[in-house]
Amino acid sequence: MNGRRSFGGGGGRGRPAAGGATKEGGQRRPMFRRRKVCKFCADKIDDINYKDVKLLMPFVPERAKILPRRISGTCAMHQRKLRTALMRARQLALIAYTSD
Amino acid sequence: MSRKYELVYVVSPDATDEQVTDLHNQVDAIVQRMGGALEKTENWGRRRLAYEIGRHKEGTYVLEVINGTGELMKEIDRRLKVTDLVIRHLAVRVDEEQQVVDRSRGRRTETSRRRRVARGLPPDRQPGEGQRGESEDEHEDRFEGLPEVER
Repeated sequence: MNGRRSFGGGGGRGRPAAGGATKEGGQRRPMFRRRKVCKFCADKIDDINYKDVKLLMPFVPERAKILPRRISGTCAMHQRKLRTALMRARQLALIAYTSD
Repeated sequence: MSRKYELVYVVSPDATDEQVTDLHNQVDAIVQRMGGALEKTENWGRRRLAYEIGRHKEGTYVLEVINGTGELMKEIDRRLKVTDLVIRHLAVRVDEEQQVVDRSRGRRTETSRRRRVARGLPPDRQPGEGQRGESEDEHEDRFEGLPEVER
């Protein structure tokens, strides 16, 4: 199974896969983790524009913080572009700096 | 040397339509005077602000695409700063960015065309031709909003 590789011993970094890790951590987390793909690469969106609020909104969760790459799976280049776009949108009050 | 800029400004909600048009004319006048050209104007109308600016909760957004020099933009920036009716404005240079986008888009279509020809297909996608090999699973990988993340 290809999908499982990312959890177990994938890449060889972090804790050694043997012994304790699978016994204690194994039962809490599901074995299968979904592979993340950069939305902008997948949908071939070249231009991340600050005026396109609809495109940006999924990357701004409730507290109006910018969603980290580790969660959204966006690639480095697009995260950088996303960040500038979000910051411009914030200046124009299209997107909040904070909420609550 | 002429550059392309995008200017967005937010006009106070108290302003009448007339005042908004007047403001647009002022910007236009500066552009004309300094030897630029107004490429496009767009009025987004009244929108809710994401946060309060001063005591305002709404604003009228206007977008102008301007061809001109840095000097021109400096002057417009200065004018908008002193105009009380404008509660927020932002000017961004877009020509370089646009070039990069066009180039990468062009490159992509070119490669896809070349590959299609190599496979013995017509260079452009025919109507009714679906994207094969794209299973449902692939769509699930894409990020659409916050997934239920395991923490």
